Amino acid sequence: MSEFERKPCVYLCEGCGIKDALDIDDLERVATMEMGVPEAKRSDSFCAGDGYETLKKDMESGDVNQAIIVGCSPRVMAEQFRELPGQVIRANIREQVVWTQPPNDEDTQMMAADNIRMAAAQAQNSEPPQAYWDAASSLKLLVVGGGVSGLSAAREASKTGCEVVLVEKSDALGGWAAKWSKTIPGAAPYTGLQENGIADLIKEVEEDKNITVHTNTIIGQTEGMPGKFTTQLVNGKGDSWDVFGSIIVATGWREMDTAKLEHLGYGKSDDIVTDIQFEQRLADGNIPKTAAIIINPDKEIQPFSSGVSTKVAIKQALQIMQADPDAMVYVIYEELRAHGTAESFYREAQEAGVVFQKGEVKSVDGDLTVTVHDDLLGANIPMTGLDVVVITTGMIPNSTNIDIEAAEKGEDQLKDDIRPNLPLITINGEEPEAASDDDDGDVMPGGPILNLQYRQGPHIPVLANGFADSHYICFPYETRRTGIYTCGPVRRPMTIAEAKEDAQGAVLKAIQAMRMSNQAEAVHPRVGDLSYPEFGLNICTKCRRCTVECPFGAIDEDPETDYPVLNPSRCRRCGTCMGACPVSTISFKNYNPQMVSEMISAVEIPDEFDEKPRILVMACENDAIPALDMAGINRRQINKYMRVIPVRCLGSVTLLWVKTALEKGYDGIMLMGCKSGDDYQCHFVKGSAMAQERMSKVGETLQSMMMEEERVAVTEIAISDTRKIADTLNSFGETIEGLGLNPFKM
Amino acid sequence: MTAPLPEVASRKYDLTFARWVRDNVEGGDKMNMCMQCGTCSGSCPIGPEMDNGPRKTFMMVRAGMREEVLSSSTLWNCTSCYRCTVRCPRGIKVTAIIQGLAQVAAKEGYAPKGENASFANAFWWSASTFGKTDERLVPTLYYFSAGFMEGIRKSLDNLKIAINMLKAGRMHIGMPHTIKDKKGLKAILAKAAEIEKAKG
Repeated sequence: MSEFERKPCVYLCEGCGIKDALDIDDLERVATMEMGVPEAKRSDSFCAGDGYETLKKDMESGDVNQAIIVGCSPRVMAEQFRELPGQVIRANIREQVVWTQPPNDEDTQMMAADNIRMAAAQAQNSEPPQAYWDAASSLKLLVVGGGVSGLSAAREASKTGCEVVLVEKSDALGGWAAKWSKTIPGAAPYTGLQENGIADLIKEVEEDKNITVHTNTIIGQTEGMPGKFTTQLVNGKGDSWDVFGSIIVATGWREMDTAKLEHLGYGKSDDIVTDIQFEQRLADGNIPKTAAIIINPDKEIQPFSSGVSTKVAIKQALQIMQADPDAMVYVIYEELRAHGTAESFYREAQEAGVVFQKGEVKSVDGDLTVTVHDDLLGANIPMTGLDVVVITTGMIPNSTNIDIEAAEKGEDQLKDDIRPNLPLITINGEEPEAASDDDDGDVMPGGPILNLQYRQGPHIPVLANGFADSHYICFPYETRRTGIYTCGPVRRPMTIAEAKEDAQGAVLKAIQAMRMSNQAEAVHPRVGDLSYPEFGLNICTKCRRCTVECPFGAIDEDPETDYPVLNPSRCRRCGTCMGACPVSTISFKNYNPQMVSEMISAVEIPDEFDEKPRILVMACENDAIPALDMAGINRRQINKYMRVIPVRCLGSVTLLWVKTALEKGYDGIMLMGCKSGDDYQCHFVKGSAMAQERMSKVGETLQSMMMEEERVAVTEIAISDTRKIADTLNSFGETIEGLGLNPFKM
Repeated sequence: MTAPLPEVASRKYDLTFARWVRDNVEGGDKMNMCMQCGTCSGSCPIGPEMDNGPRKTFMMVRAGMREEVLSSSTLWNCTSCYRCTVRCPRGIKVTAIIQGLAQVAAKEGYAPKGENASFANAFWWSASTFGKTDERLVPTLYYFSAGFMEGIRKSLDNLKIAINMLKAGRMHIGMPHTIKDKKGLKAILAKAAEIEKAKG
C-alpha cells in the first residue's frame, strides 16, 4: 500500500446541533495537531451548499484524495458523497455522539475526539479500491428448467433485451402445468378458477427471438463465476459449451415418494389417489360424485405444511362442484392455510357447498372408508360411500437432479466431479444417498443440477427440507453461490401465479449480477463495491480456512500450489476470509486487519486513576449500525464509554483485533451481529454464526490471562432493535464497571 | 319441507345428511359457511340447557351424525330469540336452521315425548286458542301435565317468581288476553295445515 500518495483533509461539520454540543476547536486540534492531518475545514453543512462545493472542488482538483468527513452517520447523505472522486471516510459524531450523549460534557467530547482519531487512522491505513478486471464479460442468461417459473423467467429477461438460453431436461416445455387444466386464481377477485395459460406462455417463449430453447438437455458442469460461467450443455446428440453472465435455477418440484402414503391406504384402491393423480382425472373430465380431499395428513412424512396444499384442495373441490353441482366434497384438514387472498377462494368453495371438516385422519380403508378423528366433536367419524379419496402431497423441491434418463446422458461428465465423495445422479437403478453436509443443510437425493466445479461442492446449498437456501427477508432469490438465483418452487412451495411473480424478481437480480460483474462491482448487499480480498502469499500457511469458510465458495485452492485463488466476481466482499485467516494476511484496500487494529489503537485510553473504562463495540454495518443510528435518532442515552467500529460483517472480525484491544487496555469488547441459525438474518449467511464460533474460544484465552470471560460478548441485533441495542450496551457497560478495569491497562 | 329423508344404511353416520340439509332446510345452503367460531353457542341464553348447542350441531350435521342431531334437545330448547342469527359473523340463519331441523325431527318421529313435548303442547294450545301465550295458563298446563302432585310441587317451586312477577306487573289477574281477530287466526292456521297436508 505504498504507491498511493495520501492527501487527507478533515471536514468538520458544525450543523445539526454538533456545534452546540461539542467544542469544535478541540476537535480540530485532535485532527490536525494530534493525528497529523494537514488541514481541517469547517462548515455548517458538507452535504449541501457552500460546504459541499468546497469539498467537491478540493477532491476534483486532486488537492485532496481522502476526505475525512466528521459529522453524520455514513448511512445518511451517502449518495452525495458517492459522486466524489477519491476516498470518503466518515466519522460519526452526530447519531452516535451528539444524539446519544449529554451536550457539553467531558465524556461526550472525548467520544467525539476518539471517533475522529479512529477515522484518521482509517485514512492512514486504507486507500481507494481498484477494479480487479476491466474486460467485458458475458451478458447472457442461462435458465434451467422449462416449467412455469423457467418460462416466465426467460420471457421476462427477454423483455429487457437480454439474451437467454433455456434448458429443459424433458422433451417438452411446460412442466407440471402443461398436464393440468384449471388453476388457483392469481388475480382479483381471487374467487374463480382460472385457465393456467401455459400454452400461451410456451408459444411466447418459442416465438421469442432472444430465447434459445434446448429440450432433452441437462447441465454437464458449470465452472467460472458471475459474468464468466462456462457451462456444458449435455444432450443425446452431443455436448456444447457456452458462457453465461448469470444463471437462474427454476427446476421446480417433484412428487413425494408415494410409498410413504401407504398407511393412509394409498395403493389399496385405484380410487385412493394423490392430488397430482387427481389433477389428471379432473383434466380428463372424470368427475366423482362424492369425494374426500385430505390436506397434508401426516407431519411425519411431510414436516412442512404449505399453503399450496390447501389451495390445491380448495381448487380441486371447487372444480368438482362446478362440474357437478350435485356432487358432495369433503375437505378434511388439520391446518387450513388459506392466507391472504386465498380466504376469498376458501369462501367461494364454502358457498359452492364444499364441506370443510377439521380432524385427523385415522385410517383409510380399501373400500374408501375414511375414519376421521373430529377435534371439534371429540369422536372418530367414519365416512362411507365415497367415490374417491384424494391425499394432498407436498412439493418436494428439485434442488437436485433425480431424473435417471437425463443422468445417463451426462454420466461421463458427472463422474469426473471434483468432489467424488458426493453422490451423483442415480445410475443403473441404484438409489443415491442424500448428499448431506452439516454446513449446507439437507440435500435431496440425486445429483447436482449445475454440477458446480466449486471447492465447496457441486450442489447449490439448501436450507430446510431441501429447499434452496435464501435470505428470506432481504435477498429471497440469492443462493449462496453468487450469480446463481433460484425462483419458483425450488425455493419454497408456490402456486403458478406466485411462481410467475417470483421469476420476475429473480430475473431482475440475475440481470443486476451480470451487469455488476461486467463492471467488476460487487452484487448485493455491498452493491457497487470495487474492493476485493488480496492474499499476502508470502506468509500464507495454506491452512485453507479462507477457502473452507467462505460462505459463497469464492475462493478455490490452486491445484498445484494449494494457495488460495480468488474468483473475484463470486466474492461478496464480506471479509469472512479475513476474519478466518490466522496470520491476518488477507486484506482489502479499504478494509484490512491492519486498519482496524490501528483504529482500535488510536483511541485514547484513560489511565486507571481516571476510572473511565473503554468499551469497544464492533458492530455489523448491515443491521447493528442502522439500529444504533436509529437509537440516536430516537435520542436514547447510550453508555458514554463505548467506542464503535463498523465492520462489514461479524465474520470479518479477527481475533487479532480482540487481542489488540485487550492489550491496549480496553475493558470490554462487544460484537454485534445479525441473527444466526436456520432463520438467519446475516447478510452474508454465515458471518454471524462464524463469529460466535470463533469467539466461543476466546473465553479460555481470557481465563488464562486471569481475565473474566464476560469482558468479550457477542450479541445478535436485528435492524429494528433500537431499544434493545441501547439496553444491551448500557447493561454491558454496567457489567464491565462491575468487573472493574482491565488489569493490563497502562 | 319437501323431500323426505332418504333411507340409508346407517343413520348414525350418513354422509348424505349434510347435503340433504343443505338442499331441504331453510338457511341450510349457508350452513357450509360456518367456521366453528362458536359465537352462536356463546350467545345462546339457553345454552346451558342444551345438549349440543348450535355450533356443535352444525359440526355434527357435517359429520353426518343424523340420528344424534335429530334426537338432540338443542332443536327443542331454542326459544327463537335470534341472538345467534344476529351475531353470526358469516351471516348464517342459525335459528331458521335449528327450527328447520326440529321440523324434520318431528316428522321423522324424533320429537321428544317428555317435558319438551308437554311444554310445546301447552304453548301451542295457548297460542292457537287466544292468539297469545298466557303467562299463567301455559306454565300451569305444563306443570300439571306430569301429574297432579308433580304439578303442585312445581307450582310451589316457582311461587316466589310468580309473586315477583305480579308485583312487577308482569303477570295479570283476570281473563286471558286475546288478539282482536281470533277468527282470522283460525283461518291462517287452517290454511297452513292445508298447505302442509298438500306437501305430504
